[in-house]
Amino acid sequence: MTRSGVLGEFPRGLTILVTATAVLAPLSLILYQSLLSAPFFDAKKTVGLDAYAFIFADPDFWQAFLNSTLIAAGMTLIAVPLGGVLAFVMERTDLPGKRIVEPLILVPSFVSPMVLSFGYVVAAGPVGFYTVWANDLLGVAPWGIYSIPAMAVIAGLTHVPNVYVYASSALKSLGSDVEEAARTTGASPFRVAATVSLPLIMPALLFSAVLIFFLGIELFGLPLVLGDPEGHLVLSTYLYKLTNKLGTPSYHLMAATAMCIVAITFPLVLLQRRLLQNARKYATIKGKAGRIRELPLGRWKWVAAGVLGFWLFVAVIVPLSGIALRAFVTNWGIGVSLYEAFTLDNFKSVFDEPTQVRAIWNTILIGTVGGAITVACYTAIGFATHRRYDGWSRFIDYLVLVPRAIPGLLAGLAFLWVFLFFPPLTPLRTTIFSMWLAYTVVWLAYGMRLIQSSLLQVSTELEEAARTVGAPRGKISREITLPLIRHGLLGSWLLVFMIFEREYSTGVYLLAPGTEVIGAELVSLWQGGAIDVVAALSLINILLVGIGLAIALRFGVRLRD
Amino acid sequence: MAELTVNDLHLKYGDNPILKGVALTLNRGEVVSLLGPSGSGKTTLLRAVAGLEVPHAGSIRIADKVVFDGATGLDIPAEGRNLGLVFQSYALWPHKTVHDNVAYALKLRRVPSADIESRVKQALTQLSLAHLAERFPHQLSGGQQQRVALARALVYNPPVILLDEPLSNLDAKLREEARAWLRELIVKMQLSALCVTHDQSEALAMSDRILLLNNGVIEQQGTPQQMYSEPETLFTADFMGSNNRLSGRIAEISNGAALLEGTGWRLWGTAKPSAKQGGEGTGLIRLERIRVASAQGENCLEAKLATSMYLGDKWEHLFELGANRLRAYGDRPLAEGRHWLALPREELWIF
Repeated sequence: MTRSGVLGEFPRGLTILVTATAVLAPLSLILYQSLLSAPFFDAKKTVGLDAYAFIFADPDFWQAFLNSTLIAAGMTLIAVPLGGVLAFVMERTDLPGKRIVEPLILVPSFVSPMVLSFGYVVAAGPVGFYTVWANDLLGVAPWGIYSIPAMAVIAGLTHVPNVYVYASSALKSLGSDVEEAARTTGASPFRVAATVSLPLIMPALLFSAVLIFFLGIELFGLPLVLGDPEGHLVLSTYLYKLTNKLGTPSYHLMAATAMCIVAITFPLVLLQRRLLQNARKYATIKGKAGRIRELPLGRWKWVAAGVLGFWLFVAVIVPLSGIALRAFVTNWGIGVSLYEAFTLDNFKSVFDEPTQVRAIWNTILIGTVGGAITVACYTAIGFATHRRYDGWSRFIDYLVLVPRAIPGLLAGLAFLWVFLFFPPLTPLRTTIFSMWLAYTVVWLAYGMRLIQSSLLQVSTELEEAARTVGAPRGKISREITLPLIRHGLLGSWLLVFMIFEREYSTGVYLLAPGTEVIGAELVSLWQGGAIDVVAALSLINILLVGIGLAIALRFGVRLRD
Repeated sequence: MAELTVNDLHLKYGDNPILKGVALTLNRGEVVSLLGPSGSGKTTLLRAVAGLEVPHAGSIRIADKVVFDGATGLDIPAEGRNLGLVFQSYALWPHKTVHDNVAYALKLRRVPSADIESRVKQALTQLSLAHLAERFPHQLSGGQQQRVALARALVYNPPVILLDEPLSNLDAKLREEARAWLRELIVKMQLSALCVTHDQSEALAMSDRILLLNNGVIEQQGTPQQMYSEPETLFTADFMGSNNRLSGRIAEISNGAALLEGTGWRLWGTAKPSAKQGGEGTGLIRLERIRVASAQGENCLEAKLATSMYLGDKWEHLFELGANRLRAYGDRPLAEGRHWLALPREELWIF
């Protein structure tokens, strides 16, 4: 719209160029590698579809594909209705104590899936705490957690928060009058939810369903931990196991599998984008933004409290209490007394091992300093598209969606290849920079949503006022817009801190001496069977996320968009 | 000399034309109001002058500098036009104090800091804001915020000041005071101001000239007196003031007068250009010009009293005459039944 001169356009052009390179280089490398018959550094490589032919001929691949689909579908069927009902109960009814419970509902989405899965193993596995207690008290423990349906149930329950946030914000924008009308004709609270409120927020629920299915396809930590004992593979663990399948690095097979995963996830991402836009449109039509009145639950109170309590117990208390207990005992099994087995040795062995200490420091560093730089980068990209409606802005809009479709595990792998493929970059591979770069790109779409929602809150007129008194674009960004969004940026920093503490899969392939982070260490230690250290590190990880969460709650940072 | 000249300006949003060839001039020391119903394009025109909207044809000249020319593709961005714009929402920067809000434009112009201090102080004093310099916008009342917005737009002496509904965010009582104060300030400081408003009484009170916009074109322009007393079109006549409308047929036109006929009544009035003998016609008369008469006289009609409302300083009576409804002011209540209404022929316009 305006011509701010070459100087004004220079930072924007640079931002777009750097972003495009950071996003597209790893992806193109995966594509390129998938079309080779051997790893890219192999002299004997030829171009062709051999890698695809190999994995398509592998029955394990098809079994993994089937398992991924089953788990994703199962968890969608569980998480969406439950998340919708929980949102209704929390937003619309007079359930006592719900304000205290609300932050707890979001907990599973802030704890690393690796940590949660580990928690289920030590709490509800064959010799888990709750299994042993149930056997002692009741004589039976009627559950198993290693089958495909069990994984679908656990994944479903722990993904309820993802549905909850979208369903509850849709409910917030829906006037109470429609529900009161249903009440006056004699419908019970759950009847109201099922026949009026939830159908009206259908677009948001539909979006959540696609999101959950998508997250199901991406699932890595959970099937890695829970699928291993019975040998169930899903797409991501199939790819992970390929690393050692042929003895030599089988990069071409991994790349081909990665392309197959992206071929499923990318359309899902585009679908989500569409559905989200629809859901927003729907919400603004229906939203009267009138006062929301709470629906008296009456005797249904106990049913609602029961559903909520059961879910909280299974999805939050069981895994977290399992880890907390396991971190403080030497061993655990039938006949072991908690009191006698108490120990601090697990933590001692963590702090005695320089690698683990470095992992803890690196994790803190990447969340705080790294997180701040990441937010700065996201902000720069946000400004490159802010109030500009040209082709470059649309390009960036789609560009930031690309990493969304690449699961962390694949992105980490792709960045490993980038660092190996371009010799000038290789020395950086063993520095925490490589980890930071991968994290920043993986969470680009999430971060951009945070930044853009802050930017949208700045009224256009404040910037136009600066233009009319003579401020050029760069000055407006620095002196008007940036100071106005500083609270939003601080909030984003906290949220980025939490997701960086939580992140594990992106680091799996980038793990090297010097780049240790807790998340990736957990995967590696779990593979090595070091349960004690895993338990202690997991607890430390939960603690770090918890600190972030406590600060966020203290300062009233919105934990969702 | 014209401080601002707009020529044949066209602007559209997508395929939707908003301005369809607007021209205006603003002379030094003059207040011109852009008046019109919502959607008429008045705010868009103001924003186009400011450089915040991009027209696709026409030209804009500020003082002797062309800032937009559709033919050559010249488009000086908003920050290069050196205009003062006061937003409807005031758009004060919430993170800057009153002093910093006003000083910002001078800092951008690299004015030495001693000069900045004295000029900001002068501007704030002029607008009786000196004691509020260190406050933040959210600590000010609506009227104070409006004056800060004005100080911010005036401090760098722009040749033209643009005001977008400057009074609409004030409550009714304050608005009338602010109107007088703003007019006085503009005249005293010899400013050239272009002001958008949808309130005809505001435009009448504040302006030297009024431009009435309708659907992207200028319907009529002139002094407030001309706009009010000599409307050229039905739209202008109807938009200004409170009016009575009478629908009928034009039976005769002679010597600039027209005869409007309805069922049971005939009235002579001033013929306007659009009046055609034998065609449908609309008679329009200001509420304050119609009079309840004691007996039948010249240019009178008889109508039934429907209801009366007490307004404090006067009564408003509502009469029914077939499908037409007429309102008139009076200084006392009226008895039920039929009354004679006098419509002086020079006050009744026939379109």
